[in-house]
Amino acid sequence: MVDQSIAGASTMATASDGDRSGRARIVILLLCLGLAVAVLLSLTSGASDASAVSVVGDWLLGAAPGNEAVSARDRLIVYDIRLPRVILGVLIGAALAVSGAVMQGLFRNPLADPGLIGVSAGSSLGAVAVIVLGATVLAPIISVLGTLALPLAAFCGGLATTLLLYQVATRHGQTSVATMLLAGIALAALAMALTGILIFMADDRQLRDLTFWQLGSLAGATWQKIGSVGPVIVLALAAMPFLARGLNALALGEATAGHVGIPVQRLKYTAIIGVSAAVGASVAVSGGIGFVGIVVPHLLRLAIGPDNRYLLPASALLGASLLLLADAVARTIVAPAELPIGIVTAIAGAPFFLWILLRKRGVIDL
Amino acid sequence: MIEARDVSVAIGGRGIVANVDFDIRPGEIAAIVGPNGSGKTTFLRALSGDLAYSGEVTINGRDLSAMKPVEAAMLRAVLPQATTLSFPFTVREIVRLGLLGGRSGALPGEDERLPERALARVDLDGFAGRFYQELSGGEQQRVQLARVLCQVWAPVLDGKPRYLFLDEPVSSLDIKHQLIIMNIARDFARRGGGVVAILHDLNLTAMYADRIFVMHRGMLAATGSPQDVLSDDLIEKVFDCRLRVGVLPAGDMPFVLPQSAA
Repeated sequence: MVDQSIAGASTMATASDGDRSGRARIVILLLCLGLAVAVLLSLTSGASDASAVSVVGDWLLGAAPGNEAVSARDRLIVYDIRLPRVILGVLIGAALAVSGAVMQGLFRNPLADPGLIGVSAGSSLGAVAVIVLGATVLAPIISVLGTLALPLAAFCGGLATTLLLYQVATRHGQTSVATMLLAGIALAALAMALTGILIFMADDRQLRDLTFWQLGSLAGATWQKIGSVGPVIVLALAAMPFLARGLNALALGEATAGHVGIPVQRLKYTAIIGVSAAVGASVAVSGGIGFVGIVVPHLLRLAIGPDNRYLLPASALLGASLLLLADAVARTIVAPAELPIGIVTAIAGAPFFLWILLRKRGVIDL
Repeated sequence: MIEARDVSVAIGGRGIVANVDFDIRPGEIAAIVGPNGSGKTTFLRALSGDLAYSGEVTINGRDLSAMKPVEAAMLRAVLPQATTLSFPFTVREIVRLGLLGGRSGALPGEDERLPERALARVDLDGFAGRFYQELSGGEQQRVQLARVLCQVWAPVLDGKPRYLFLDEPVSSLDIKHQLIIMNIARDFARRGGGVVAILHDLNLTAMYADRIFVMHRGMLAATGSPQDVLSDDLIEKVFDCRLRVGVLPAGDMPFVLPQSAA
């Protein structure tokens, strides 16, 4: 049986000998360039007219005598306001996109996404608990953990949700898509209800913080925040490439992956912990930013195929670029005010998700 | 040599395989036959390390239950009955997955070319660039076999035999490709490897198997050469239908002619 949607994908991705690694390397190279451009544009665009050119010039010349190209004010704006925001955007975009790709490989389904199946909601719950209860019930814990308390709580929330989801949806090594999506909805609803209780308990100031935080935003990025979640995200991302070959084998099912020599249990738990860490850390600083994890890997599969050795790094690059782009839109579209970035990614991502569903309707039996 | 002693398997508290003794020697094809639900696949899955079992299984003298996946992958390759693929991989990308274990046993530097050579062996020349999900069921089955062949390309590695586990390798193939695949299995055995295959076609079994293990209700009903095992009485009893076993005039190879269902 020839499926139309797959035939459609094949016209985009057919290499006569079936080896798409050359094409994948070129795409990754292009994505590197794209990210560099996105970073420069992000550093330049904004209320101040400090330009990318002068910033690069300043960076290249350093403190060379007679270098008056960039004023102290511009330097402050670029280094203390825009640069942390850009770095955070890159880290979180990469984390969300790679997490999406890894979850899709793990669940053997292109619709798995941390935001969609409740992992982000679980992380959210952890983070909100720290924000609301931080001054009272959880104060002793937070005094020990300091700035790590928020990302850690988000990580635990995400981890608990993912583990629970995997247990519910997988039986005899087969993950049921329908069960996964439904269980994800149930877990997300539960996490949101518990979050609701916490919000109910919150005072006015916390309430406003929470609302904006939940919508998702890169505003308020500081070097301190990067210091607390950056290492977690970088570590999680660094572990992901080691999963690539195993995730490829997993496309044939857990049993076959084991037969070709993949330690499947270890792979699954590494993937779940890595994704929970990356998503938890992202949610902790930027709130719920949806659809990056589903849109990015899907687009890239069309271009370079599903080989995770290339898909994972490419997802990191494209995820970072797209999130910077979305942030630029969020900052400028209603200037001087700022739209939460979660709204931008949802407005662009939700129709895209529907499009995937329509294309896949014949292939995936829900 | 693979030895299984007193192997029993229960799934969800239900006994599926009971007290099976089994062995595969290098150089031979061992066929497992039996009616649907007699525990053939369950037994092979236990042998593949997929299911918990009681009893003892050793591969080349080493305890299976103590082996890591990567160690087992060096000693045997498994062709499952059916494989569902979750992403649009090309045929080459699928076949290459057989090389993940890293010990194909081909000459140094030849691994890159193995997918093509394996595809040629299963009569899928020129299919490397096709999308797996676009292929017919029989073609997909042969792609999977090509992947399995890449994993244990050399039937003997470091002086020790390796094994092919084939669960209904020819079930969706036309008659020509059934013969091609069974010839690959025979060739693998002749070059010093061992093959265990679950088969439904008793005539194909008679043609290719050195020994037949007949399973019935989770237990071994008979073991032996095709001439010993394929008798009217035994086969009628195990498969619960009327049939005649004859002998081909050209030799001593038995053949089975079905008569009626009851």
